[in-house]
Amino acid sequence: MFKSHSLRTAVVAGLATLTLSTSVTANNEPIKVGMMLPFSGVYGALGDATRNGLKMALQEQMSKLHGRKIEYIEIDTEARPERAPEIASSLLNNSEADFIIGPVHSGVAMGMLKVLRGKDTVMIVPNAGAGPVTGPLCSPNVFRTSFSSWQPSYPMGNVALDKGYKKVVTMSWNYGMGKESLDAFEESFTAGGGEIVKKILVPFPKTEFQAYLSEIASINPDAVFVFFAGGGAVKFVKDYDALGLKGKIPLLGSGFLTEGTLEAQGSAAEGVLTTLHYADSLDNEQNTRFRSSYKQQFGKASDIYAVQGYDTGLMIASAVNQLGGNISDQKALIKALESTTVRSPRGDFTFSPAHNPVQNVYLRTVENGENRVVEIAAPALADPARGCKL
Amino acid sequence: MTTSLFLVQLINGLQYGLLLFLIASGLTLVFGVMGILNLAHGSMYMVGAYLVWYFVEHTGSFGLSALISAVIALLIGILMERTLIRQLYRRNHLDQVLLTIGMIFVFNALQGLLWGNDPLGVAVPAALSSAIPVTDVLEYPVYRIFVALLCVGIAAVMYFMINKTRLGMLIRAGESNREMVECLGIDIRKLYTIVFAIGVMLAAVAGVAAAPMSSIVPGMGEHILITCFVVVVIGGMGSIKGAFIAALLVGLVDTFASVLVPQLSSMMIYILMAFILLIKPQGLFSS
Amino acid sequence: MLFNKRTERIFFWVFFPLALLMPLFLADNTFFVSKLTSIMIFALFVMSLDYLVGRCGLITLGHAMFYGLGGYLFWMIAPEYEAVNFWVYTFYICMIAAGVALIIGFLVLRTSGIYMIMITLAFAQMAFYFFSDSIDFGGTDGLFIYVKPETSIFGLSFFDLDNPTHFYYLCLLSLFNTLVFFRVLIRSRFGRVVDAIHENPGRTTALGYNIFVFRLMSYVIASALGAYAGYLFTLQYGFVNPSMLAWTTSGSALVMSILGGMGSIYGAILGTFVYEGLHYVLEHLTEHWMLFMGALIITMVMVFKNGIAGYLEKLLEKRA
Repeated sequence: MFKSHSLRTAVVAGLATLTLSTSVTANNEPIKVGMMLPFSGVYGALGDATRNGLKMALQEQMSKLHGRKIEYIEIDTEARPERAPEIASSLLNNSEADFIIGPVHSGVAMGMLKVLRGKDTVMIVPNAGAGPVTGPLCSPNVFRTSFSSWQPSYPMGNVALDKGYKKVVTMSWNYGMGKESLDAFEESFTAGGGEIVKKILVPFPKTEFQAYLSEIASINPDAVFVFFAGGGAVKFVKDYDALGLKGKIPLLGSGFLTEGTLEAQGSAAEGVLTTLHYADSLDNEQNTRFRSSYKQQFGKASDIYAVQGYDTGLMIASAVNQLGGNISDQKALIKALESTTVRSPRGDFTFSPAHNPVQNVYLRTVENGENRVVEIAAPALADPARGCKL
Repeated sequence: MTTSLFLVQLINGLQYGLLLFLIASGLTLVFGVMGILNLAHGSMYMVGAYLVWYFVEHTGSFGLSALISAVIALLIGILMERTLIRQLYRRNHLDQVLLTIGMIFVFNALQGLLWGNDPLGVAVPAALSSAIPVTDVLEYPVYRIFVALLCVGIAAVMYFMINKTRLGMLIRAGESNREMVECLGIDIRKLYTIVFAIGVMLAAVAGVAAAPMSSIVPGMGEHILITCFVVVVIGGMGSIKGAFIAALLVGLVDTFASVLVPQLSSMMIYILMAFILLIKPQGLFSS
Repeated sequence: MLFNKRTERIFFWVFFPLALLMPLFLADNTFFVSKLTSIMIFALFVMSLDYLVGRCGLITLGHAMFYGLGGYLFWMIAPEYEAVNFWVYTFYICMIAAGVALIIGFLVLRTSGIYMIMITLAFAQMAFYFFSDSIDFGGTDGLFIYVKPETSIFGLSFFDLDNPTHFYYLCLLSLFNTLVFFRVLIRSRFGRVVDAIHENPGRTTALGYNIFVFRLMSYVIASALGAYAGYLFTLQYGFVNPSMLAWTTSGSALVMSILGGMGSIYGAILGTFVYEGLHYVLEHLTEHWMLFMGALIITMVMVFKNGIAGYLEKLLEKRA
């Protein structure tokens, strides 16, 4: 129950410092990886998966760390933005972490950014898609291994046009990530001549969708595009099916609609079309290996959040390896991170000047409880990084 | 809005309201009889949903799982009352608030330890999985109609129990004069245990009934708790009849606000509550 | 004497000298200085709530509305790229918050007990959704404050708000002042009437006092101080977020106030430090901190009849 692992490493590190106090060099100290993720509450599952992926990657890459051990400091953000600056400052000034990984929630990301922007510690965002992180608020020490909220949704506009949909209803929770996703879809969809007949914003975290779905049924659009994630996604997809809309009005979504939720959604999710920078069925060596060993270690199927955590681990390992284990020079570290090509289960990806992944976005459909690739919806897609001066 | 859409939304609102009643009824019953403000009530809703999921996974039968879950909830209720709540009858209301907040922490932690953080789902029982076509596009699932009828049934049973049975008589007597009931040789402590356990069970049953049509996630209890309090307070604390009418009112207002005034829909039930309390500071049906 | 209980005096003479010297021991750890600062800010907030709940018997679950308002108000009225005067803006923010409290108090104080809990919650939730739904106020992502105010009085500046230690002392001073202020208020004629209303509203009315006015004044004072706490919180890291207004913020504050000992005022400091301290230790020990936190809360309710302050008083007060 107690984090015996991190305690043990701390004790071991302490003893090592005592006995070797004369010959200690920077390279003998463990690399401190601070995690600011939600481990309880609505976003708990996302935090768990990210942490699993991150630890798995660093475990696998042990041989490339030039003998340096990893020490984890894990703090539950409870997805509460108002606590974010304080926890970030704890990891920065108290734990003196070398890397701070987090968060899941965009509001928390903003709070972290306020403290960590321009500091000596590298911050890597393994999920939160808030545009400003790699947009107007971008910073040399801030990286993102996941996506900007624009990325997964923008290509769906063209997919919808290709399918001949003209009138679409969009819907999401009324919060940053949801609104940014709908805007990205709208941008490409209306540019190609499509029309958004209605945009529905549901108060967060309300999951009573019946009234909205009845209204959509009466509008009877060509398709519906939504952003929901986690428990809300489960409920939405089940309601869409239960109220008979499925099969009559095609359901399109940002890929989070069917990530980490497929088991709970059951047959209701079959056939839902989504776009995302990953799909379960991607046919590459990394993905096959990743999925089987994740399943073996944690006893459940991996999802995008696990992949993003995993890639964060790969990225850290790669930079440490490039620098021969010495990460004390921040400029060199940032340079090494920037030039990393991450050999990810989602396919290889690189970083844009704003430190956001340049990656393929796939069109996927749910088949037998798995997200299967239909095609590449947008190859090597880079976020426009509006307002970033890097 | 066309007439058919209006009717559909009316049904949506009533159905949502009835479910709210089921959750809120236990809360108002416990407050009315015992004067206990049980903030852990939402947690019991969550516990009900998780329990039924767990047993469906193991037995495959929804009906059986629902029954087992309800019994376990009843036992949890008895245990909570006997060990903790009982100590606080003579203490300040706010100590009860603190105690039940402590319980929320414990229930949330146990949920994480026992069942993890992944969202879970329960399939609708096969016998009730069909749907009735309403328009070309829209269908109405039979299960949801069943749940709505179940809620009406439970409301009727509660009404009958409180007004026509000996237990109900004692409950009403206990509400108005605790000492008098004790003087008559009735063991009020036993009565309190029973009422508290029933309250807990009602929350859990609501969780069970909601499980197949929602997602089972950590923290699902806290969100519903606030809505529940809105219902109970609008109806007048302790009034079952008030809770019933308020639940329908909240269900309808929330449903129609979502569609008609989406900009205000997040605030609508609070506006409704503030408005009602400004006119009737004790709720609609306070005793 | 300002403090009539021995426990209170002991607490006062232990806490404040210790707090005054603390940064000297923590010189090389800015985080702990900041952590203590944020606990003191929240203690100030809890104290304002404790006065309302414990002294006036006005239980509110909407106090976080003023906490958040303190932050958002600063963003609204201060120019974005110009350092304004801290004291002047303290005055503005407290005055505006007091104005808002006057209107809302006028409405909510018609109810009492649980109905008042819920109607205050209703207004707080409306405010919460107002800020979190609005793009102009940064929505759920919140807002940044880029330039912190300067603190000069007549050209003399004692605090540099960008320096964590200076900010620590500013918050300590604020907490000290608030405690003294409430003690003075409680001992004043006004405070005695408020106590009388709490004990027996009927009789106080019969004595010719308009209890509504006294309650409203108390509500306005506590709300303005709540907003001041929120203003300090926002300045600490330069970050405002709608989660400051969430009902869970009000809930935690209520928990800390009950834990500390309702109505004791200094208990608010005890309650906040104990709660936040436990939270900090537990969350660094185990991921399942909630389990231990919950168990500890339950145990404390069972053991302490009147919160931590009540327990200490039982130990330290001479029996009369």
